[in-house]
Amino acid sequence: MTTFDLLLQQTINGLSLGAMYALLALGFTLVYGILELINFSHFNVFMVGSFIAMYTLQMFGISGQNVILTGLPLIGVLLMAFAATMLGSGLIGVVIERVSLRPLRNVKGPAAMITTIGVSYILFNIVLLTIGADSKNFPNPLPPAQIDIGGAVLRLREVLIWAVSFVLMLGLYYFVQKTKLGKAMRATAQDPEAARMMGVEVDRIIVTAFFLGSALAGAGGMIFGLYYNFTSFIIGFTAGLRAFTAAVLGGIGNVPGAMVGGIIIGLIEAMTGQWPGTAWSDVIIFGILVLVLVFRPAGLFGRLAPNKS
Amino acid sequence: MARGLLTHAAHNTVQITDQGDFTMITRRAAAQALASATLSAAVLAAVGATSLSPARAEDKVVKVGISLSLTGADAHSANLIANGAILAIEQANAAAEIPGYKIEIMKLDDGTATAGQYDPAQAATNARKMVSDKDVVAAVGPQMSGAGKAMAPILSQGDLATITPSSTNPDITNPKFADQYRPAGKPIYFRTVTTDAFQGPNMANYMAETLKVKSVYVLDDSGAYGVGLADAFQAQAEKKGIKVMGRDRLDPKAADYTAVLTKIKQLNPDALYYGGVLQAGVKLAKQAYDIVPNMIKAGGDGVYGPEMLNAVGYPANEGWYATIASPHLSGSDKVGEFSRLYASRFGEQPDDYAITAYDAGLVIVDAIKRVAASGKPVTRDAVRDAIQTSKVPTLQGTVSFDANGDLADRTVSIFQIKQDKSAKPDDMDKQYRYIAVAPQS
Repeated sequence: MTTFDLLLQQTINGLSLGAMYALLALGFTLVYGILELINFSHFNVFMVGSFIAMYTLQMFGISGQNVILTGLPLIGVLLMAFAATMLGSGLIGVVIERVSLRPLRNVKGPAAMITTIGVSYILFNIVLLTIGADSKNFPNPLPPAQIDIGGAVLRLREVLIWAVSFVLMLGLYYFVQKTKLGKAMRATAQDPEAARMMGVEVDRIIVTAFFLGSALAGAGGMIFGLYYNFTSFIIGFTAGLRAFTAAVLGGIGNVPGAMVGGIIIGLIEAMTGQWPGTAWSDVIIFGILVLVLVFRPAGLFGRLAPNKS
Repeated sequence: MARGLLTHAAHNTVQITDQGDFTMITRRAAAQALASATLSAAVLAAVGATSLSPARAEDKVVKVGISLSLTGADAHSANLIANGAILAIEQANAAAEIPGYKIEIMKLDDGTATAGQYDPAQAATNARKMVSDKDVVAAVGPQMSGAGKAMAPILSQGDLATITPSSTNPDITNPKFADQYRPAGKPIYFRTVTTDAFQGPNMANYMAETLKVKSVYVLDDSGAYGVGLADAFQAQAEKKGIKVMGRDRLDPKAADYTAVLTKIKQLNPDALYYGGVLQAGVKLAKQAYDIVPNMIKAGGDGVYGPEMLNAVGYPANEGWYATIASPHLSGSDKVGEFSRLYASRFGEQPDDYAITAYDAGLVIVDAIKRVAASGKPVTRDAVRDAIQTSKVPTLQGTVSFDANGDLADRTVSIFQIKQDKSAKPDDMDKQYRYIAVAPQS
């Protein structure tokens, strides 16, 4: 492997990581954009999502690494698993909002944020106590196809991750920019009171934001499983923290910012694994975050709706 | 409470005092209980006062602590180990091995959900819990050296001996670090396994002599055990003329090791050695299979566990070498009776560290028995001294300890994972194929 191959390979690794972080970061940004709330339960909705995906795939008779599908059955199974996972995680998000956050809507201070931390731990412990503490072998129906580019290797699973993330992000962008509900969302983000007076049902918008964010987290959880072939009750924290960093880096509340922030964090993680070494990854990631925030407190892309009072 | 529920799932017949739960008592029931207790105390006092020979009282209760990483990535291995020790104690109770005494188990978990594996802070808390209960006269555990380093000074101050069936970091028993790990002076950390001072180097010997490895890349999981094992391996590998092409440290909570594996792929060493436990190990094994499928991969007893079989799965785990710091016994005729009992009691086959845990239980039962037989009160101090002078026939042979608490026998066994389709996929005995005793230098 030449240095160029190495660089290329680490870029491929980093983009896959980045796509996953970006999907997760979008959930933070959507909710923050509307409620100015950092939703820490998102960490573990992602984790629960990967378990929903695992059980869905197992219902199709795929377990471990031994069942490999190709062609139409593969596409069908993946589509259904993604749909089930996103729907399931989305509903969890809606329940979290309805049960634990709506009653606190008008409470000032950090109560709502602390509640999301509590909900995060509840999800975490439910999975720990019902499913167990050991790592699970995530079903992997993807054929081991790969292309060699010089000394670097591009696998089918990486292409799949990029494609799925790209489609989801494009869909979200379209939804926020082009649909009526998306418009109402942007209006609520700018000024909830004015939006309410204009006839926007703010509660419905908030529920939509939670559903979408959590559904994306679920998709991220399934991607995590397909990429790493394992899942465990503990995966939410590290991935969630990095994704949150990505959202802040891109400018929390800003949809394209979250996508770009995710990709940047993923690339940094891969490159620091090469030079100077994995032990330094976190130091460098969070060092860059601090630097960016010192010079651009609103993140790389600022806020989409900076004029909210 | 996570701990309470988890420990409850794991046992049902031994009476275990779990600090996490309590029974609800209604006021009336409490009053009745109190009344009858007062009454029986009065009766007993009367009997004691009037009869010359003491009435045959209930058996005295002494407790043995068990502290293992029952939550997190090593939970399944921890359960196999716990059950080994529990079986030894249950058998002693059932056979009334120690006349006049009954042993209760205090089972504790040093793994926490937030750490995802052993948590040194929780291990220290457990050590305090055991030390503060006067009835606890000895302990089995911990499973992990990182937990052991946190527990040893507290156990030393409390004069409570523990026997670890699996933690292998040599520093804890090394007299050079006595100030740190046994500040009160006497050895309190005993082992029914040997240490990484042999486990790491002996694998390096095997790599150099048998596998003809010329270059290696070394990884650790930044834990006390992992770093120590990787250091010991690396030093001996260099001595043996193996070129160490690099050393990196994995964050056990991170999910992604593809970056460092890509780096290793480019350097293309003959072998990869991993010092660490399973939280990072499972992910490393999976991703190493994708990126460097044909490289020789090896680790210590950290990669000896059912999680390598269940969570990593075939084919990613195929070919991994693992060592254990004890002779290989599981599945052999010598332990046939034990394996049958273990399997019928707990519903799964024991692995080699379940055997060393059973041995640890036997050593403790024997020590308590000798103290009781000598007529002295069964105190921690007396039990510790008795453990120090043990010569106990166990499954692995006669167990005795050196002046620091280390096992006299220094056998390291090597295994390689080779899929056996006829056996259960997580059958430790069948899927980890025993290769040989690692060459001692």
